[in-house]
Amino acid sequence: MKVKLIYSREVVEKPILANVVLRAGVPINILEARVNAQKGELIVSILADEDKIKEVLNLFREAGVQVQEFAETLRIDWDKCIACGACVSPCPTGALRFKEDWSIKFDDEKCIACKICVTACPVRAISIP
Amino acid sequence: MIDEEENLRTISEINEKIKRGDVVVLTAEEMIKLVESSGLEVAAKEVDVVTTGTFGAMCSSGVFLNFGHSDPPIKMTRCWLNDVPVYKGLAAVDGYLGASSISETRGIEYGGGHVIEDLVSGKEVVLRAESYGTDCYPRRHIETVITIDDLNQAVLVNPRNCYQRYDAATNSSDRVLYTYMGTLLPNYGNVTFSGAGQLNPLCKDPNYETIGFGTRIFLGGGIGYIVGEGTQHSPESGYGTLMVKGDLKQMSSRYLRGASFHRYGPTLYVGIGIPIPIINIRVAKSAAMKDDEIFVNIRDFAVPSRPDLRPVVKRVSYAELRSGKVYLGDKSVPSSSLSSYKMAREISEVLKKWISEGMFLLTEPLEPLPRKGRLKPLEIKRRELKVGDIMSRNVIMAKPTDDVKSAAAKIIEKGIDHLPVIDDEGKLIGIVTSWDLAKAIAYNKSRLEEIMTRKVITAFENESIDVVVRRMAQHNISGVPVVDRMNRVIGILTTDDISRKIVGGRNVI
Repeated sequence: MKVKLIYSREVVEKPILANVVLRAGVPINILEARVNAQKGELIVSILADEDKIKEVLNLFREAGVQVQEFAETLRIDWDKCIACGACVSPCPTGALRFKEDWSIKFDDEKCIACKICVTACPVRAISIP
Repeated sequence: MIDEEENLRTISEINEKIKRGDVVVLTAEEMIKLVESSGLEVAAKEVDVVTTGTFGAMCSSGVFLNFGHSDPPIKMTRCWLNDVPVYKGLAAVDGYLGASSISETRGIEYGGGHVIEDLVSGKEVVLRAESYGTDCYPRRHIETVITIDDLNQAVLVNPRNCYQRYDAATNSSDRVLYTYMGTLLPNYGNVTFSGAGQLNPLCKDPNYETIGFGTRIFLGGGIGYIVGEGTQHSPESGYGTLMVKGDLKQMSSRYLRGASFHRYGPTLYVGIGIPIPIINIRVAKSAAMKDDEIFVNIRDFAVPSRPDLRPVVKRVSYAELRSGKVYLGDKSVPSSSLSSYKMAREISEVLKKWISEGMFLLTEPLEPLPRKGRLKPLEIKRRELKVGDIMSRNVIMAKPTDDVKSAAAKIIEKGIDHLPVIDDEGKLIGIVTSWDLAKAIAYNKSRLEEIMTRKVITAFENESIDVVVRRMAQHNISGVPVVDRMNRVIGILTTDDISRKIVGGRNVI
């Protein structure tokens, strides 16, 4: 599951993510991080079952981190897509791949929102919501 | 021993079968399977026609348009469709819209390819034109809206389509390259390729025994014709091309799609399918060629040379390219296409259906495509300024162990902005600018090796000034050390040198 973690100025310097990983014993993958003295924003992927995810999110909330669920990383206009494959090899995580029938498959779970595909697509079928 | 050239059937015999409704047509993929299961001879005897397909970006495409005369009429000398320039070196209301013509208002995001797609989809397009006015054509300006139905003719004439095969691309540099081969990640991060391989029309008849002038084809969803070899047709090296034409009014935006490669520009994805009549065993054999028998080079786009001089990193088959990963040395590198195999397959199936249902008859080529000829490069016969012509050869340099103060003194005394840092063998290991010296003050450092920039952008003596100026702009720097192949500094080129020594391309010193 993907969530956005928003750290306020008060908590931005604390090692909250590391503490949550240690306490919950769940791997958390940082997909994108923007941190400065005022504020921090992390997009992370939590690899666990539903109950464990609930626990993890609660631990973040208790530590003063605002949690936003991340519904959608990329938006693909399948009517525009010509299944050329220009997005496939630039994708660093294999989130964009060919299916058996050579159409394109998008795996939201794997996407780290790096956006390289947005410009790689020659028919501009990919956008960030 | 079987005779590969023995005539199995003529094109007129095939056409009789098409009319009777008992023609045997397979797509190239189906032909491959049949040959694998039943053998070449059985397949050649059984199958009359093999259909092929390709759907890729083909920049050398465009459409001849006739707008009809307005009243009062205009001899259009400059013309735009949706702000994309139309070539107007033709008669009053004839024009040619090229797929890679660039919008004057939207830039490279929108171009001729997109206008062609808009026309084919029946959308309204803004026509604007200017003239100087003549006695017979007095109007000097026109602006109106047209659709494809308003045009007298809209004829797709593509000077170069349907490459027999196409070299693949990778990137050894440390930055992302945006090319006509798509997005190439740094450090051999990926490989991109184009062409439908085992479905690709010219690959299936590489001796041009059945494909030639006048061959009727599937073009953009309608009927088209091969009008000759394409530009850059290079049969001796296996890179044949086609020039094709067809009535745009019959075509469909499913098979003609405007596209734009990021930081490269607009183009048109064109769908082409060609029927291969199985006239003899040899043609049957080539029609059954598989991806693992069709080879191309992977070239390094980090080297800014002309296409055939970019270093070949590896020779690979389409099978390896299409597998999704290519081994470069012992590194597994993701590979993917830029042309759509799915659409290529669909086109081969549509063409099969047309032929099976008696809607499409085959044609005897009037003449085969040329089988001789190679690509010639463009030689620059006038003297061109090279880095070596204007660089300063008297380079003030420093050692990594030098202290910051003496370096600062050198920069001031000699009136320079760039101080290359070299090791004991004279090899470049860093550069110091006044910016780096500011760093020394800020962080209280005293030796150059602590503050110098280690990743130095350089140039070679024989590079053209144009290329190096673009490199400097890209990295936002004002000077580059010029090195030899051993990375020893032999000069320095700064924006100062360029602005002082070149005036309008003329060397004033």
